[in-house]
Amino acid sequence: MTPLAALVRKELSSLFGSPVAYVALTAVAGVTALIFFDHLKIYNQILFVYATTTMGGFDSDSIPEHINLWDLVFFPVMEQIGITLIAVVPLITMRVFAEERARGTDELLSATGMGPGAVVLGKFLVTLGFVALMMAVAFVYPALAVERGGLGAEHLAAVFMGLTLHAFGLAAIGLTCSAFTSSQLVAAAAAWAAAFVLWDFSWMYSFVGEETAAWLDRLAMHPRYGSFAEGIVSVANAVYFLAMVLVGLALARFAFDLRRVSG
Amino acid sequence: MSAGASDAAPAAGGPAIEARDLTRRFGRHTAVDRLSLRIPARTSFGLLGANGAGKTTFIRLVAGFLLPSAGSVEVEGRSPALRPERVQARLGFVMETSRLYPELRVRGFLRFMGGARGLAGDRLRDAVERSLARFHLSPVAERRVGNLSKGFQQRVSLAQAFLHDPSLVIVDEPTSGLDPVQRAEVQAILRELRDERTVVVCTHDLVEAEALTSRVAVLAAGRLLAEGPTGEVLGRGDPLALFRRQGGAA
Repeated sequence: MTPLAALVRKELSSLFGSPVAYVALTAVAGVTALIFFDHLKIYNQILFVYATTTMGGFDSDSIPEHINLWDLVFFPVMEQIGITLIAVVPLITMRVFAEERARGTDELLSATGMGPGAVVLGKFLVTLGFVALMMAVAFVYPALAVERGGLGAEHLAAVFMGLTLHAFGLAAIGLTCSAFTSSQLVAAAAAWAAAFVLWDFSWMYSFVGEETAAWLDRLAMHPRYGSFAEGIVSVANAVYFLAMVLVGLALARFAFDLRRVSG
Repeated sequence: MSAGASDAAPAAGGPAIEARDLTRRFGRHTAVDRLSLRIPARTSFGLLGANGAGKTTFIRLVAGFLLPSAGSVEVEGRSPALRPERVQARLGFVMETSRLYPELRVRGFLRFMGGARGLAGDRLRDAVERSLARFHLSPVAERRVGNLSKGFQQRVSLAQAFLHDPSLVIVDEPTSGLDPVQRAEVQAILRELRDERTVVVCTHDLVEAEALTSRVAVLAAGRLLAEGPTGEVLGRGDPLALFRRQGGAA
């Protein structure tokens, strides 16, 4: 067993040995189902109103094009899942490093000679794996919408990729915040703040010039996430989220070195 | 990754740890102040001092958890400041308060610590079973660490430190918070182990130091007050006077 494999195994055992993992998976599945069925209900009501008032039935050409499963259910659901993840993912990541520091086991881990690089990598791998599992659970209902909406498997894959990459980006932010503190609350609050700021800069556009707004737009997560939701797989957008993970890895690793200096 | 006691361990009498003008500051507070100390290999060495004397900071510097502000320290010829992993791989470290993973079962915890030290397969299995037997942990092997008494937790902490057969073991306050029976048990275990390798015991308990160590160094305000054979240092008049002094080399 390599040290990294030992750490991954222990992290999985700690994660699934406590109710946290099951609560998080159930909560995400539940919230996604609520959001999905709420939008589906509204869609059905609108469709019913059109179908009955035009007397043409559900196959009538008189139902406008914009009344479709895609625009009324799928997009808003994806949008709301994206925001829900900003709230949920920091709750998963807050304990990863902060808990180790708070109870002093970070030094026990370091005393094995495993090295901070392996510690950070192991914890990132387990967290990202869990987040991917969470996305698979969250994806059940949107996937249903895509299938019923007559969209293909490629589109479905693009949407899942976007959802997962978005969650990876959020996990990287959360893990980085967790690596710099021993307080889980501070880690979660810092991650929420950073993620909400990075989510969308459009509220700032009236305060800054056009050029700055364009730069801010490049930094924001929302437009990139949205492009995946439309079925567009852009390498630049994928690299953006993966770069967030790499920067998170480097910063979390740096936190270990910083601690040797600051104590 | 793992290192055994025989893996280029220094010969008896050579230095296991050598600090030269070692200094560590936290802001304006100097926790370790120009400390020069040589801990011979294969001795049972006591690091004595009142709370805040700098013992824990010193061993954190030795283990590479902290960088020195000035001076240097070498562990078996290696610098923990430059390559902490190489020093840590040869070190067994028992923390002051049993800093363990309470959610893991004892056997699982030892398997994890052994795996993290690079042990695998039969070597890992043997090391875990040997440790369970040696530290009398077999009856609680399947219990969660967090549900054990403090005495058992300290044994688990000792067991993980000896898993990879290190040439140097640092034990910080080994009997802190234990009742007299647990204290006697842990001291008996440490007595058994002390002749096989270098054991550094940090304590503020003079009786414990006398029982477990052959040489001691006394620290106060981060400075070395006295160093020598345990009986000699602690036999000088009122040993408690050593703790009351606030600095200045002996």
